[in-house]
Amino acid sequence: MQQFNIAITGLGGQGIITAGTILKNAALNSDLQDVSGSERRGGAQREGYVEAFVKYIFYDSVSEMQNQRKNMHSPMIASGDADVLISLEPIETLRAISYVNKNSVIIFNTNPHVPISVRMGKSKYPELDDILNSLYNITDKVFYYDFNKLSIENFGSIISVNVISLGVVFAKTNIPISKNVIENILLKGSKAQDNLRAFNIGLNL
Amino acid sequence: MANLFVEGKYGDKGIILGNEAIARGALEAGVGYASMYPGTPASEIIITLDKNKKYIKNIYTEFSLNEHISLHGAIGASWSGIRSLCAMKNVGLNVASEPAHFLAYTGVKAGLVLAIGSDPGAPSSSNEQDDRWYSLHTYMPILEPSNIQEAKDFTKKAFEISEQFSFGIILMAPSRLCHNAGILHFGDCLDRDLISGNFKRDPENYLNLFNLAVKNHKKYLERNELLKKYANTSELNIIIDAETGSRNHYRGNNHRIGFISSGVIYAHLIEALNFINADNYKILKLGITFPLSEELIKRFLNDLDEVVIVEEAEGFLEFQIKKIAFEIGYRGKIHGKNIFNAYGELTVDDVIKGAANFLKKPPPEYFDTAVKNLEMISDKIPQRMGTFCVGCPHRGSIYSILKASGYSNTDSKDRDVIIAGDIGCYTLGLLPPYNAMDWLTCMNSGLSIGQAISIADKSKKIIALVGDSTFYHSGIPVLMNAVQNNSNILYIILDNSWTAMTGHQKTPSTKIDIDGISNPNAINLKDLLKSLGISYIKTIDPNNVKRFSVLIKEALKEKGLKVIIAKRECILQEERRNKINKIKNVKLNNKPEIIYELQKERCVKCNECFVELACPAIQLKKEDDNKEFYFIDTIACVKCGVCYEVCPNGAIRKVEFNLHSLINSEPQVNLLNNKENKTELKIIT
Repeated sequence: MQQFNIAITGLGGQGIITAGTILKNAALNSDLQDVSGSERRGGAQREGYVEAFVKYIFYDSVSEMQNQRKNMHSPMIASGDADVLISLEPIETLRAISYVNKNSVIIFNTNPHVPISVRMGKSKYPELDDILNSLYNITDKVFYYDFNKLSIENFGSIISVNVISLGVVFAKTNIPISKNVIENILLKGSKAQDNLRAFNIGLNL
Repeated sequence: MANLFVEGKYGDKGIILGNEAIARGALEAGVGYASMYPGTPASEIIITLDKNKKYIKNIYTEFSLNEHISLHGAIGASWSGIRSLCAMKNVGLNVASEPAHFLAYTGVKAGLVLAIGSDPGAPSSSNEQDDRWYSLHTYMPILEPSNIQEAKDFTKKAFEISEQFSFGIILMAPSRLCHNAGILHFGDCLDRDLISGNFKRDPENYLNLFNLAVKNHKKYLERNELLKKYANTSELNIIIDAETGSRNHYRGNNHRIGFISSGVIYAHLIEALNFINADNYKILKLGITFPLSEELIKRFLNDLDEVVIVEEAEGFLEFQIKKIAFEIGYRGKIHGKNIFNAYGELTVDDVIKGAANFLKKPPPEYFDTAVKNLEMISDKIPQRMGTFCVGCPHRGSIYSILKASGYSNTDSKDRDVIIAGDIGCYTLGLLPPYNAMDWLTCMNSGLSIGQAISIADKSKKIIALVGDSTFYHSGIPVLMNAVQNNSNILYIILDNSWTAMTGHQKTPSTKIDIDGISNPNAINLKDLLKSLGISYIKTIDPNNVKRFSVLIKEALKEKGLKVIIAKRECILQEERRNKINKIKNVKLNNKPEIIYELQKERCVKCNECFVELACPAIQLKKEDDNKEFYFIDTIACVKCGVCYEVCPNGAIRKVEFNLHSLINSEPQVNLLNNKENKTELKIIT
């Protein structure tokens, strides 16, 4: 049995849940494959913290898939157990740092969204360099871009930050899913051409 | 694909949410009546059926005014021979506990399933209560699915069990399952043409008084015993035996250990045991967690020296199993809450740590390292809590209330004006920077507790808040109590036309739905209040913050009961409707748009908009010389204009520009930041 875990974090309204759903749909093609993962939806639309887990399971055989000791999976990702962390907000990357290990890939959006605690002067928003230092202490596979800027420049709004980040996943990680599968999923969805373009922007970063 | 939920059949698979899987299970079982009072994390169970109802034959869906009504509705449908599904969040059962306690007395006709979304860790609730304990006195059997597939399969099965034993069945799903999304293998649906109601009198069961009630009490205890026999052999309860040679894994000589778990926690347990390479212990997976079969527990405990019960909250299984162990004279050790916390969510990490410590099998090194990595930097990460959406009318209301009472941006314990919170989006006003509320417990506790404080402490002035949906849920009797006793209190009804927090279900006074269709039966809130004999009723637009705070100040000077309706539609709904219209309008008349701009040269960073009002569209940026300035993120801004009204320095101005030119050219931010383009903008204030 092989497992590939992706944690996606960020804020309500950034399309975290949608990104997770796109990735999960990629697991429908094979009979020996399973996917699940819980979502934290509470903060959607209200500036709150949102996360989605994508846990791909690849069974070696039908008998393994039927083995009750193997075919049940927690909807959560355990500490250090994520292969990829996608974060659409800098400090949310830090908050999710416990999911990654020294071999994980971290992809994050450098565009900050200042929380209320910083506004009130109760805490300081860390500098990008400090954030990077903390991440590089764990893994050297850190990729960061201003996804907001890329989305606004290309689509006039921040709507595509999630799909651009998915493109980066397929460019920079060894995700065991073919990018054509994702492209086919995007093609079937709404705003197909925009999403395909966004995915390709990410792929070429 | 789009409507796999409705049309899917045996052999199909799709990505689906736990809540949708529960709804699908009900659909496969031929559900004909589905009701709920919306509540996170359970809402999507009925939302899914409701939004698909035009494609489903013979189904009735209802967002009832409260859980008490909703469960009664499901009972009525069941008695009429229609399979019914009622859903609610954990605390909903408190409201529905009355019908729940009678359900065993009367029994059901067609299957009745009560799906409960519990919320360990309380990410969207005001408590962590474990509703399973109710079943010790309601005798409602409980099924606990562990994953998405079981969520569907168990729901379907629950209808059969319900009919077989004449109990309403609880299907328990914590938020981790409700909001787990993954693969579901579909089954076939029952023929929906066969769904048709026929209520038949059954006085023996439905009438409960004096000795009739006692007789029915005896009857359901007997049915409960039958159900225990069923649980003993049911495929919903599984014993996974230790494999041959597994003694190597036991501690010491012939020391045999086993685990008991259920629901999502069982999924955590299997993952945890694999994680620490301890995948060979005997395990009892309970799919039915009430009633427990003594026979089954006996069979499992028999050859074990120690057993660990892995579960969330106070230990409902441990409580029952220890009782059985006592009765059968079990001599081994039973662990549970001595290892796992009784509070907070039990995460997969918690189960890994608990199992690793108990079995003395350490988790892989990277696990500990990862935990430490976060610990090392956690104090450097600014806290982030939810707040009101950009343009939310509640922001105007909370701001006005704080201004009127003089408490903005303070969490001082010494206040003369008491502000009672209640359940809804406006609850977020209790968080910083507002710190507006003095208590938050259950639905309509604001006015209820407030009334008593107005009697007990006459030196204080009291403002009680309530949202429209919460008001209709159970607030009217509270308000009548206040009228009857002429309570000295200011009651502010924050009427945003929707049950917004759970995804915009209609309230009784929702006049126009999202498609623009008006509801002729919509209740006129003001008329309703008048009919209760309330004389002080004012209506205000909460975004008009200056007038609103004056109104509050005036109202607080008056004695007796005062009601203010802060009326403005939820911005998300307004925006949704406008989006369609805006595109139409621009195409039609090329109408100019107004945006708001914060001029940094006039801004003195007084923080009125940035901290006091705290609209998320007003953000902080650094210039090249490292100087910080505030700006309005025009993409996030919905042009409500409240910041323009509160700015004491005239630093925020209205700018008119032609939206049409924007749609096909550059994004708004670029336009504003680009000096050459400024000439295109017409400054109107």
